[in-house]
Amino acid sequence: MSPPARLRIVGGAVHDPANGIDGDSRDICIEDGRIVADLPAGAPTLDARGMVVMPGGVDIHSHFASSSCNHARRLIPDEHAADPAPAPKLADGEPLARSGTGGSVPSTFTTGYRYAGLGYTTAFDAAVAPLTARHSHSELDDTPCVDGGIFVLMGNDEYLLRQVETGERDRARDYAAWLLRATGGYAVKIVNPGGVEAWKTGQRNVSSIDDQVSGRAVTPRAILETLTDAANALHLPHPVHIHCNNLGVAGNSATTLASMEAIAGRRAHFTHLQFHAYGGGGGEPWSSAAAKVMEYVNAHAEVSVDVGQVMFGSAVTITADAPVEYLLYKSSGRRWTNIDIELETGCGIVPLTYKDKAAVSALQWAVGLELFLLSQDPWRVVLSTDHPNGGSFLAYPALIQLLMDRSVRDEQLKRVNPKLLAGSALADGLAREYTLNEIAIITRAGPARLLGLRTKGHLGVGADADVTIYSRDPDLATMFSTPRYVIKGGALIVEEGYLRRAPAGRRLRVAPGYDDALLPDLRRHFERYSTVAFDNYPVADLPGEPVATA
Amino acid sequence: MSPTSRVASVTCLGCGCGCDDLIVEIAGDRIASVFPPCPVGRAWFGDGGVPWAARRSGLDSTLEAALSDAADVLAPASGRVLLVLAPDVSAQVQRAALALADLLQATVETATSDPAAVGLLAAQRRGRTAATLGEVRNRADAVLFWAVDPGPRYPRYWSRYAPDPAGTHVPAGRAGRTVIAVTVGQDRGPAGADLELALSPDQEIPALSVMRAVALGNQLGELPSPLQRAAEIAGQLVQARYTAIVHEAEPGAEPARDPYRAEGLLGLAQALNGPSRAALSTLRAGGNRSGAEAALTWLTGYPMAVTYRSGAPEYRPASRGVAAAAGGAAAILVVGAVAALSEVFWDAAGRTPVVVIGPRASETLSPVRVAVDTGVAGIHEGGTAYRMDDVPLRLRAPLAAERTAVDVLAALLAVVRARGVPRVK
Repeated sequence: MSPPARLRIVGGAVHDPANGIDGDSRDICIEDGRIVADLPAGAPTLDARGMVVMPGGVDIHSHFASSSCNHARRLIPDEHAADPAPAPKLADGEPLARSGTGGSVPSTFTTGYRYAGLGYTTAFDAAVAPLTARHSHSELDDTPCVDGGIFVLMGNDEYLLRQVETGERDRARDYAAWLLRATGGYAVKIVNPGGVEAWKTGQRNVSSIDDQVSGRAVTPRAILETLTDAANALHLPHPVHIHCNNLGVAGNSATTLASMEAIAGRRAHFTHLQFHAYGGGGGEPWSSAAAKVMEYVNAHAEVSVDVGQVMFGSAVTITADAPVEYLLYKSSGRRWTNIDIELETGCGIVPLTYKDKAAVSALQWAVGLELFLLSQDPWRVVLSTDHPNGGSFLAYPALIQLLMDRSVRDEQLKRVNPKLLAGSALADGLAREYTLNEIAIITRAGPARLLGLRTKGHLGVGADADVTIYSRDPDLATMFSTPRYVIKGGALIVEEGYLRRAPAGRRLRVAPGYDDALLPDLRRHFERYSTVAFDNYPVADLPGEPVATA
Repeated sequence: MSPTSRVASVTCLGCGCGCDDLIVEIAGDRIASVFPPCPVGRAWFGDGGVPWAARRSGLDSTLEAALSDAADVLAPASGRVLLVLAPDVSAQVQRAALALADLLQATVETATSDPAAVGLLAAQRRGRTAATLGEVRNRADAVLFWAVDPGPRYPRYWSRYAPDPAGTHVPAGRAGRTVIAVTVGQDRGPAGADLELALSPDQEIPALSVMRAVALGNQLGELPSPLQRAAEIAGQLVQARYTAIVHEAEPGAEPARDPYRAEGLLGLAQALNGPSRAALSTLRAGGNRSGAEAALTWLTGYPMAVTYRSGAPEYRPASRGVAAAAGGAAAILVVGAVAALSEVFWDAAGRTPVVVIGPRASETLSPVRVAVDTGVAGIHEGGTAYRMDDVPLRLRAPLAAERTAVDVLAALLAVVRARGVPRVK
């Protein structure tokens, strides 16, 4: 049976913060994949009385569809073996249901199915090397149920660095636009600006935003400014997405704040802020600097962040910030993969476990929660675990429970190692409990708005018919981990908690304009230094139409 | 006289170098020339002529009847089907074949991963430090060829990646690099190196251990001459800015030693990243073999030796190999160039019905139940193939195809699904 083109969701408690609806009992009407104002009498109905209705979840920052993820998958056969994922029993007429494996980095179909099972219908892979974008699109082709896109790594790109070095900011902007088009990308991503290039040259890393990169007239500050301005000048739907220098280092909050101040007044998104909000260093023990960092964020409306919460348990760290992964390898003794990617970026992978009895893990857990609980604007401080770096996206329900239920949070706080928690706001007692509406903001309405996705994250007329319906449960983790119904693009994909349909996701990408005068010089650069032909570099035949830029 | 045309930026899958700068000249429906004139590339393209038959038990057939017969063979054998991913097909074809394998709860082996398996397994145990070939070209001021001369099997590695070309950090090209050739028994390093080290097979693992110890900064006592030489070379690598260690993933002269070599090289490359920077450059042969491992990994989590028999992918590297799997199969589906399969495989297959879909399937010498010819990836079919360093490359098709492997597999999947495949517990 094919899903009805029309559906009236009747009587649920609707949480649609983008439209000012906070738990009101309303009908939501769907026709041809969109939300409509009303439907004729006799349209099919879905009884949602007593249930909670929200827009489909939107994951602003995840690592699930990239060459780096595939390298990570290879590194954890033990996790896959422990988590086999048989094919779901889909409705007749559906595409072939596929089996797979889970663990911290599930196989592609399993990733799509699990996102859907969680009520998420949109997700972005936040770090794709341009050279491997073709691979990411292949993975997205095999990740059903979610509309997806990729953020394109530019903060250590050789051609970009050359433009920064010579002050060619217009050309840098044009290059960013060309690269987004060539890769089918959605946003500009910066990872450890200049630091990855420093790692590759033997400088190992940079430690401040004013360090020279490998002796060149380039600094992280200049990279930040150039790409932030480029993204804004191109009117991209999402601003530059920044992973700051000094990730995971004691005392790194100073670098984070310096980065924010360097581009103050300009729209920018700072990602997995938890990993960048530590005090201490210089002989002082690690501590939380969440309050200080969040004070800045709260006061600056142009800044948005996702938290990158650490959750206790297994994780795999996957990042273009290769020098960080080397340090993690040396300190943990775990398996370590490093891939240097020509002219563009790096890739490092180390599997690890966050333990509540480990002092640093406990601090990281507390810092993330503090960022959430000290936020004054949930629209600008949204949920992520930096999947799978801080934990799997499957941990989102447990995280939501921690945010909504202080008693659960306090119980867990009693069990963690308190060594580094002196002076932390969480240890001092943060009473705040998120409301359902705030959860709807940080998991769908906020990310959609930050991503510039006008038809996502809300249930107003014209929105994509991506809807998640939860049965109420006193155990909030259970409630959010097992939605009763999920609707994707108007198709009822989860019924009574079971995945029944698995439509292909839509590709979310942009195609900004640029000055063709760039091309002769760029072609020469490719011919001198690249091992891939200039004419073969762009990914061809991408599905769907680009998302409009303003 | 047939008209001639040229297609530029064509990708060659003759070896794992994946050169995508070729110019192919077409005369009529045949390839007349390939530039640059690499012998491996020329052999890969040939004249581009391939058969376009569909056969059932050796007799010409319609495609529809052949696929119906294939479904008759495969569907009832669900749970005991072997899928062999053979080379010369695109990642899109490999992906389509894996959909069939999932439906049929098949065991999946690649025709090409087994030789490289020791390296894949060692990397799963400890990780690896690697680089794309452009990093080798742009950064490596020391290039260590460990028991391999890339010349015969990878003719353009030397000129395209290292040591010859100039790079961003090696503007002088060959003159700016130190080339080191290590010979181990019959596995010879290249001629023309700046430094040489000759080891007997028994000295190889001790030499790797010594070199790793030097990289880790350990103090070593007096060593016998070849190991002392190894220590000195390691000292030079520590002083280098960026070392590329080039090694062969295909079997060496003594395959029994390969696991230790793989582990030793991974360890050395990782250790060199303490005092310096280093990456392993792993040579793989052609035909998109890295693509098979990539597609298997994103779809199952494992790069090779997978069985869907229990209803979800399981990893069985200890019992890997097409021949071992063929012995227990009730039906075999080969997707790709069947020439990659050895006599050992055909002996193990015995009387098991075999379906072959791929380039030159109808020229299979052993008797098969169904053979459907398709084009060759990068000659008649576009899509994506993976270079030896896992970089995905665009494939152009300089010649037209009568049918593509992707379309054939999609049609076969539809026929098999329509038959109804029983799920096996």
